[in-house]
Amino acid sequence: MKIDMKRLAKLSKLKFSPEEEAKFQKEMENIVAMVEKLPDIDASGPLIDPDNPMKMRKDVPEKKFTRDELLKNAPEVQAGCIVVPKVVD
Amino acid sequence: MAYTDYETVVGLEVHAELNTQSKIYCSCKNAFGLEVNTQCCPVCMGMPGTLPTLNEKVVEYAVKMGYALNCTINPISKQDRKNYFYPDLPKAYQISQFDIPLCEHGYVDVLVDGEEKRIGVTRIHIEEDAGKLIHDDSFTGTLVDFNRCGVPLIEIVSEPDMRGSKDAKAYLETIKSILQYLGISDCKMQEGSIRCDINVSVHKKGEPFGTRVEMKNVNTFSGAVRAIEYEADRQIKALEAGEEISQETRRWDDAKGVNFLLRSKEDAQDYRYFPEPDLSTIVLDEDYLASIKATIPELPNKKIIRYMKEYGLPEEDAGLIVDNMEKSALFESVVGMGKVKPKNASNWILGDVSRVMNETNKPLSELNIPAENLSQLIELVEKNVISNSTGKTVFEEMLKTGDAPQKIVDAKGLGQISDEGALKAIVDEVVANNQKSIEDYKNGKTNALGYLVGQCMKASKGKGNPAVMKELLMGHLQ
Amino acid sequence: MELYKLQASELSQMLQNKECSSVELTKSVLGRIDAKEDQIKAYLSVDKEGALQKAQEVDDRRLKGEDLHPLAGIPIGVKDNICLKGMPATCASRMLENFVPPYNATVIEKLNQTDCVYLGKLNMDEFAMGSSTENSAFQKTRNPYNTDYVPGGSSGGSAAAVAAGEAVVTLGSDTGGSIRQPAAYCGVVGLKPTYGSVSRYGLVAFASSLDQIGPMGRSVKDLALTYSAICGKDPMDTTTVSREYPDFTKNLKSDVKSLKIGLPKEYFAEGVTADVKEAVMKVAKEYEKLGATLVEVSLPSTDYALSAYYIIASAEASSNLARFDGVKYGYRSPNYANLEELYENTRSEGFGDEVKRRIMLGTYVLSSGYYDAYYKKAKFTQQLIQQQYADAFTQCDLLLTPTTPDTAFKIGENVSDPIKMYMNDLLTVMINIAGLPAISMPCGFDQKKMPIGCQLIGSKFSEQTLFDTANCYEQLVGGFDLSATLQ
Repeated sequence: MKIDMKRLAKLSKLKFSPEEEAKFQKEMENIVAMVEKLPDIDASGPLIDPDNPMKMRKDVPEKKFTRDELLKNAPEVQAGCIVVPKVVD
Repeated sequence: MAYTDYETVVGLEVHAELNTQSKIYCSCKNAFGLEVNTQCCPVCMGMPGTLPTLNEKVVEYAVKMGYALNCTINPISKQDRKNYFYPDLPKAYQISQFDIPLCEHGYVDVLVDGEEKRIGVTRIHIEEDAGKLIHDDSFTGTLVDFNRCGVPLIEIVSEPDMRGSKDAKAYLETIKSILQYLGISDCKMQEGSIRCDINVSVHKKGEPFGTRVEMKNVNTFSGAVRAIEYEADRQIKALEAGEEISQETRRWDDAKGVNFLLRSKEDAQDYRYFPEPDLSTIVLDEDYLASIKATIPELPNKKIIRYMKEYGLPEEDAGLIVDNMEKSALFESVVGMGKVKPKNASNWILGDVSRVMNETNKPLSELNIPAENLSQLIELVEKNVISNSTGKTVFEEMLKTGDAPQKIVDAKGLGQISDEGALKAIVDEVVANNQKSIEDYKNGKTNALGYLVGQCMKASKGKGNPAVMKELLMGHLQ
Repeated sequence: MELYKLQASELSQMLQNKECSSVELTKSVLGRIDAKEDQIKAYLSVDKEGALQKAQEVDDRRLKGEDLHPLAGIPIGVKDNICLKGMPATCASRMLENFVPPYNATVIEKLNQTDCVYLGKLNMDEFAMGSSTENSAFQKTRNPYNTDYVPGGSSGGSAAAVAAGEAVVTLGSDTGGSIRQPAAYCGVVGLKPTYGSVSRYGLVAFASSLDQIGPMGRSVKDLALTYSAICGKDPMDTTTVSREYPDFTKNLKSDVKSLKIGLPKEYFAEGVTADVKEAVMKVAKEYEKLGATLVEVSLPSTDYALSAYYIIASAEASSNLARFDGVKYGYRSPNYANLEELYENTRSEGFGDEVKRRIMLGTYVLSSGYYDAYYKKAKFTQQLIQQQYADAFTQCDLLLTPTTPDTAFKIGENVSDPIKMYMNDLLTVMINIAGLPAISMPCGFDQKKMPIGCQLIGSKFSEQTLFDTANCYEQLVGGFDLSATLQ
């Protein structure tokens, strides 16, 4: 199985030097070959687990954290906001 | 170029923010317009190790909308992750629903030019909103505010059943009024609480559907109309020029009134949807679903048609009353008492009642306009006990004191006199004092009649029945 | 007797009887850390001051006559992927080198109720991906039995610390064997609890549907004590199961009479060394002597478990680790001119190779065109495996298997071959795929004089049976002998 490393790296938001890309390409192809060992079963139905119903949360607001606590780990903060390179959305 | 040969096909994806108290997957407050990054916690900021918990109100509201749009509710459904990187999406995935939405296979009837039209609703699913990016030239970068992260959304996806912008507008307005009737969304356009993505294609009549183009970033209904018309026009021009339409996503720029290419089909995102492993299955039992279904009121689109059919109201009047739940409730109570003509009730409600609501900016419940009193007032006018203008005086008094109209009329002696014998003396006196006007009338100045009736009204201190007095005047004029 | 050598259950008794204080005990363990860390390198951070302060507080309260939990004053080490407010949680990754969580994991909130003492945060494979702790971005932890050897992984720091006396008990996490395999390699006991019995809130996610936090210690009783404190339904984790969770130490038995122990033949197949097979079979025979019945069972889909595991775990990981993008917390590359470069450079510089491989594998199996053939099929295979285990438990009460095909390997021996490394997980991943509980306990040594571990696997929520059965063996052998590493 030939893996399109450029596409995979792009989707994963990773980038590689040509040497790294060659190394990972080989490794990934081996790993994918390893995981291909799956039984020949019908896998057409939906993936749902009705035996584990969820207990939902009541709609009650709570405030437990200050902005300073939450932004303490941020790499760059200005005016109470996290800063990223300019984007147009 | 023959534009009329073409038909425009529209499908809509409406995102509506739900007005729950807390967010969808954490207990942060669901509130708009507060200081940046103050309505957040480790969960909605996607901190490592945090897990979502689903707010039961979100499911309830989505199911309500499902019933309102005649959907099948899936008693067992799940949530999925939609993976993509963007600074407003802290986890780098949005929790949404992919293959098993809460509601599907529905429809809604909308009124277009007085005709009912059925629009299919493919599905309704729940998902979380993203944060807000702030672009400000005073900063070198873009700022990220996470307050909106995790605000609950429902996405309502329609079938491509609309033909042109008129249908789309009617559909959007109907969806909005239903959301408001159910009390599940504030529907504040300026706060972005309803947004839509629009799919547009064109084809020559009688031919198969064309390739559809998706348009994003449409935040107002009037914008939606312009966006559809612009895109249909763009596609028709392209086809007429011999070009092909490619399946792509375009971004609507409302200020400039144009759209531009966001990404082509080749660049389509691969969202790698898979079942959200942090949340177990949503299981809704029959009793629960029945209890939600029981809370669905008569919906505005149906109500308008009923008002037209049952009460003979014109579409516009019916729409204006139904648009406001309080007015509609008042109308039904007054009409339900069976004492007045529905059209008169409608006129009063859309006239003076609406004016007072606007002026005072108060809900009806805080104004002295109980249905019994309004019915009585209209009845007094209908039975000529008081004139229409006296009715307005009584209405003002009623607002002030809360007294019943009959009581006000009695106390102030406002009752209208229709007895010819009683009015004859007044008319005779006016005729005697206004011989000049009588001559004028006889010489063809017919507007002199109005003046004379006015004089009679004045002389009767407003209590004389103008129709009777006019009749008596005519006797002198012929 | 040095205090650091003792078990939690013994120390708990001594503290209650005021034969020692928590400050003395904590100083003893901190002293041991000072003495051994140069060789073992189990800890990524040690909070001496906080530990002694808490120990003092517990002693004061005990003096006042307060009724305290058996874990009160007991020094505990925590794997570095579990959030403890105010202490770093690096997950042994450059990506989170400076990350200090502003909140506590639910297991920490629960342990806070016991007034235990936190020593610090333990080394691991980066984001719990690995089987040797060599994938830590910061240091290689060494096996206390022989420092040329790996301690196993990913909870290598947690296993090594317990074996070397650098903690009385520790918390680890197990996604595909990450508690049991290092427990086996380091000669200690470790429990991978039933999926849904311990809250994952505050455990930095690797594979959400497989991850469980569990205890590691030097005796079964210590595991039961710690597990009793951390298990239970958590409103913050919807995947936790609501049911009665008893105090597992109360009725701890050492009796296997009338117990049916299954020996799945697939677990003793090719690839498992003769030493390991022999040691595990010896345990089986001991149980038989004590009145248990041995039955051979078959789990044919075992062959597919490794594939299903790597697909499901990597798929979830690719999504769980997408949040590490340099925006909100953790590492941000200094080299970027736009958003795309910020993402790519941050992630390329912040993650190690193994993490990159798993992210790419997960991205691959979820991407359009491959989802059905890989991810979805793996999930259906998982159901098949779960069914086979359920069937097996109609024939026996629990299963006895080797924990790993071989004992610990040398540092550096497997780093160049990812697939060879993955084979270490062959006998443990099935349990995560099936959502079952399992204990690994020491059962002898191989010719390299490295410890061998055997695995007791139960049906869902059968932790009490596992504790009883393991405790029975522990009593029989007079306790697990860690004298070599506690010297």
